[in-house]
Amino acid sequence: MYGKEVRMRRTRTVVSGVLTGIGTAAFIDETVFHQLLHWHHFYDKSTTDVGLVSDGLFHAGSWLAMVAGLVLYADVRRRGTLVPRAWWGGLCLGLGGFQLYDGTFQHKGLGIHQIRYGVDLAPYDWTWNGIAVLLLVAGALLLVRASRTPPRTTSSHTAPTATSRNR
Amino acid sequence: MTPATTVPSAMPALSGASGGTLPPLFTTAVTATAVLGCLAYLAAAARLRARGDAWPYGRDALFCAGGVVLVAGVAEPWGAAPPFTAHMLTHLCVGMVAPLLLVLGRPLTLTLRTAPVPVRRVLVALTRSRWAALPVLPPVAALLDFGGLWLLYRTPLLSVSHHNPWLNTAVHVHILLAGLAFSFGLLALDPVRHRPGFGLRAAVLLAAGTAHAVLAKSLYAAGPPGTSFGAADLHLASQVMYYGGDAVELALAAVVACRWYRAEGRALRRARRAGRPAPCGTTTAAVTRS
Repeated sequence: MYGKEVRMRRTRTVVSGVLTGIGTAAFIDETVFHQLLHWHHFYDKSTTDVGLVSDGLFHAGSWLAMVAGLVLYADVRRRGTLVPRAWWGGLCLGLGGFQLYDGTFQHKGLGIHQIRYGVDLAPYDWTWNGIAVLLLVAGALLLVRASRTPPRTTSSHTAPTATSRNR
Repeated sequence: MTPATTVPSAMPALSGASGGTLPPLFTTAVTATAVLGCLAYLAAAARLRARGDAWPYGRDALFCAGGVVLVAGVAEPWGAAPPFTAHMLTHLCVGMVAPLLLVLGRPLTLTLRTAPVPVRRVLVALTRSRWAALPVLPPVAALLDFGGLWLLYRTPLLSVSHHNPWLNTAVHVHILLAGLAFSFGLLALDPVRHRPGFGLRAAVLLAAGTAHAVLAKSLYAAGPPGTSFGAADLHLASQVMYYGGDAVELALAAVVACRWYRAEGRALRRARRAGRPAPCGTTTAAVTRS
């Protein structure tokens, strides 16, 4: 619609949002549910080997995702090609995607740990995954709206970084 | 942290003569090397500045902080910490934090700029040699570092090494050198024969972080074969390894990401000067893969 280069720029914005979202979701999970509330357990005896690897991969990956997401954000801003709505859409997709993966595959499929112990899990699971789905829907809507908005700049060439920075 | 179930059972398998678990000769050698290394670094940096070259003071601080962490690691000032947790803190200092800080001081660059010419010639030849480049190639360095850790904690190596001071020394020397090779190769701040791409470095960091986290969590449930640490000790040590590893991984990732950001900025400025549209995506694959 707008040419390859513009799409590529938008992709970078969305990728930045998704990565930051994954990193943020993992960070909230770790600080709020593991460290502050003590709802999640560090290690649950029912964890499978695949569960350990999946947990390790996402744990290590989420820190990298956070760093990569933020540095990509800085890069698109510097180029003056940031599409804020697309970034927020990506962020919601990352947040919701991670939470849904965690709530269904990791908690239920691999049995890494449950949301909370010693309570009826059903309302917790429904709330957890419900919020995840809402975030995914919100992210998708934002991305659709962003793709309908014409790009503010067609090339970083014609958009000096200074103007975008002053916004 | 989970509410640790305190089970002060099973006598710890390792307890050195003086509370420490490292051979005194090793501790002395490492301390002396670290102190001399830091002094040599400061002297070289001072000489460089005296002749008018720029050398940020931050690098001096980072290198010396690395020396301090190394000395603290081998001195084992953990006091009342249970034995496996104490071992893990030493491992964290010697194998991860100290190498990272030392490498951030760019000691090789400094040496290349201040050493006498014959020494420089040897070093330049070394940085260009294929064999010297091999162990600092990120995947190889990661294998040496994290493969070594798996060997240490998932074979009887740890329990055997605590009855054999030479083996114990060799294990710790390996931990230090492998840690240095990994940080050196991954960050690629000093001149190397072939600077690895950002994609490879991000992938290696992800794989290494995963291997470290999985090993740390598995130690929560089962200690190294042949040892009998208490459950509370294992739980604490496992979390020290898990979250300590996170901190170092985050620092490594931040340095690599900043290098990418600068490289992109340089490419952008070059393109703008040349009047071409800004290149995009030349190095993207690098950081986004995670």
